[in-house]
Amino acid sequence: MESKFSGSQGGKHGDPGLQPERTTLAWGRTLLALVTVSAIYLRWLPHHGFAVVVLIAVAAGAASAIYLTQRRRYKTSSQAISCEAAAPDISGVLWTAFAAMVLGALGMSVVLLP
Amino acid sequence: MGFESDPRQPPQRERLAQRIFPGGTEPDPRFTLANERTFLAWIRTSLALLAGGIAIEAFTADLFLESVRKGIGILLLLLGMLLSGGAAMRWLKIEHSMRHKASLPLPLIVPLLAAAGALAAAVVLVFIVLP
Repeated sequence: MESKFSGSQGGKHGDPGLQPERTTLAWGRTLLALVTVSAIYLRWLPHHGFAVVVLIAVAAGAASAIYLTQRRRYKTSSQAISCEAAAPDISGVLWTAFAAMVLGALGMSVVLLP
Repeated sequence: MGFESDPRQPPQRERLAQRIFPGGTEPDPRFTLANERTFLAWIRTSLALLAGGIAIEAFTADLFLESVRKGIGILLLLLGMLLSGGAAMRWLKIEHSMRHKASLPLPLIVPLLAAAGALAAAVVLVFIVLP
């Protein structure tokens, strides 16, 4: 495993499976999905008003949080590969799931409320 | 060179990680990252269902009765919510199983997605076929 690419300097890792890159891209696709969902919520804006602004703010906030942590995420995960121990991204996972659940709950209340 | 002397003694774990995933040994970091990507794939599925629920509600006003439109919209939004919650639970369970070298839990959200997806498709089909 020890090669000239190993070691954590500058986020380099020795994983030919490119796990850090794939994981960062998976977060990037999730970010894009959040942006898409908030764009579709815009369609509700003329009918439902303020509640939709809250929905879009939640989706855009989650997307921004992912965007702002992408650099750090790649670096952390490539260091994790280098030292053979990854800290599970507990707050990232739980906040993302929470944001998706809030989007669903607010969406349902918008549909149900007159 | 960035390598730990003993891979089983990783750098100090965060307090939150120690509380949520007590005991066990550090799994291969590749598996931890794979678990994270699987979670994200479920979250994107759930976001697609949310988008579908909104789209049904917003774009089919002259196609379906209001009750049908709202019913399918609510069904898809509810399914999206359950899936994102289920995805987080599954991520936690998998991480826990990997730390304790136990077999991985069965994905209960798979039959949930299949059943509710089939139900939503059947409802839409019935109301398209009916005059």
